[in-house]
Amino acid sequence: MSDSSSRAVVGIFTYMDDALEAVKRVKAANFDYRMYSPVPRHEIEEVTYPEKSPVRIVSLIAAITGCTFGFTLSILCSLDWPMRTSAKNIASVPAFFVPGYECTILFGGVATLFAILVFCRLPNVLKTAGYDPRFTHDKFGVVVACTGGQVEDVKSRMMDSGADEVDVRDSL
Amino acid sequence: MEYTHNDHDPKKEPPVSYAEVNDTVLKMLEPPGTGWFLLLFTCLFFLAIGASCWFYQMWAGFGESGKSHPIGWGTYITNFVFWVGIAHSGTLISAVLYLFRANFRQPIYRLAEAMTVFAVMTAGLFPIIHLGRPWYALWLIPYPNQRALWPNFRSPLLWDVFAVSTYFTISATFFFVGLIPDIAAARDRATTPFRKILYGATSLGWRGSHAQWKHYTSAYLIFAAFATPLVVSVHSVVSWDFAMSIVPGWHATIFPPYFVAGAIFSGVAMVITLIIPLRKAFNLHRLITPVHFDAMSKLILLTSGVVSYSYITEFYTAWFSNNSFERFQFWFRPFGEYWTAFWGMTFCNCIFPQLLWIKSLRTNIAFLFILSIFINIGMWLERFNIIFQSLTREFIPAAWGGYNFSWIEIGITVGAFGWFGMWMTLFIKYFPSVAITEIKEVLPPPMRKTNSGAHH
Repeated sequence: MSDSSSRAVVGIFTYMDDALEAVKRVKAANFDYRMYSPVPRHEIEEVTYPEKSPVRIVSLIAAITGCTFGFTLSILCSLDWPMRTSAKNIASVPAFFVPGYECTILFGGVATLFAILVFCRLPNVLKTAGYDPRFTHDKFGVVVACTGGQVEDVKSRMMDSGADEVDVRDSL
Repeated sequence: MEYTHNDHDPKKEPPVSYAEVNDTVLKMLEPPGTGWFLLLFTCLFFLAIGASCWFYQMWAGFGESGKSHPIGWGTYITNFVFWVGIAHSGTLISAVLYLFRANFRQPIYRLAEAMTVFAVMTAGLFPIIHLGRPWYALWLIPYPNQRALWPNFRSPLLWDVFAVSTYFTISATFFFVGLIPDIAAARDRATTPFRKILYGATSLGWRGSHAQWKHYTSAYLIFAAFATPLVVSVHSVVSWDFAMSIVPGWHATIFPPYFVAGAIFSGVAMVITLIIPLRKAFNLHRLITPVHFDAMSKLILLTSGVVSYSYITEFYTAWFSNNSFERFQFWFRPFGEYWTAFWGMTFCNCIFPQLLWIKSLRTNIAFLFILSIFINIGMWLERFNIIFQSLTREFIPAAWGGYNFSWIEIGITVGAFGWFGMWMTLFIKYFPSVAITEIKEVLPPPMRKTNSGAHH
């Protein structure tokens, strides 16, 4: 009977191309994996996450909301407390460009921060199985979720790719 | 020319590695020595002087600030414009140069960004100090109130509130987001319980997984895109505080580009002033190389040219306008009672930086340090000339007046440097003041096969 308990196989790599090779091999076998690196690289993105991030959609919607808010606030406040200057319009759109513009940036920027927190699942104060402090230093890591029966297969894929060391932990 | 950390002298020195970047930068966070405490207490001493002067001014009245008709805007607004200007180059280096993929920015951008945030924090104090009754600053914010009043949205002063508060929020957010992966690196090496808690909390549990990096880099690019127009807009809005009025010497359409160029000029100078001692104190010679100083010098040379051109244009416009008040104002500045401020500004901002055409001086650290201090002084004088000289000679001679600095103003000005210095001093010891991740981004990644197609 095969071992069906959850396991995390952690491969630690010195070379980025070795880690990417390991990712390709575990992806080919449809394993759930996570790759860690001390630095963002396009080569990693191309292999692991080629799709576009949804962060930009959040930023765009927030920026449009901010622009609308800035102009609306200026116009409504001016209409509520009109300060007439000769025959000029009370709702003076060119003058309100600045609050409108600044609110566009403000809303977009703050929403982008929240988007990072949501999509990156931050803050995360819990320990992450498979994480190694060397991943913020100079090592690359590939962590694969598998069952106890698949551990040897994953380990061999890691070692064949050039892992410095491979460790097995309880779960991902 | 492509700037990387390994380009400066590859024959003499081995290339910088990922591990070396971590080791060098995180070494800066080791427990502070006597020099650091001395610097911090000096800053706190200046801050205490400034705070005392401010409290005295509030207690005794705004008359203590030395302002009286016709000088309604003096040292405080000069300081406000000066510090907003200082803030600008941080955003230029962190956002604009990021979008242009200018690799020379990597080792200096974190410090420049910290400078931006702390300089805006300093700048923001001055309009509040200038109110005399700072507790009324709340009235600048459009909120529903019992007086049923709203601020005037057609006033450049209200635009300033929106511009500076947005600038601070976005700069601080951009700064913090950039710090997250580097704080995580500090967290993974922290040994003391205090540092473990500090970095554990502020890194938000960052791990650097592929999905995190994907969203992070996408968001960072968007932040840069949001921050880039702020470089242009904030100082343009500040310049409209003056240009929207009819005061001779202020009423000029050239002010927005002139102010933006001046802001970048002064900000880059301040980056050099700060980074040279930091490089020496923490032995960052391998990360901050002559190549980086050469690039910053060229930026100074460019912006000095734009500023000098703006000065000349102001004079030409005054002459060409045939407006006697404008003409008199621009005669008064170089030949009037306060000519020293004008010629001091001209020397510091236009003449002295021209020496940077000499290549060897662009990488001469001692020369650059001295030049950067002269530029800082020159840019303060520029704002002083614009604000003070214009007000002292307005339209009719009966409305002319003079101005003497009060000790309160000098104390508060000194206090602002203490406030700014205190934040910088604390920052360099508790957070990575050189960007670990971004330096690694421009290094070649460790590859087993050299021809496996690494690119950035």
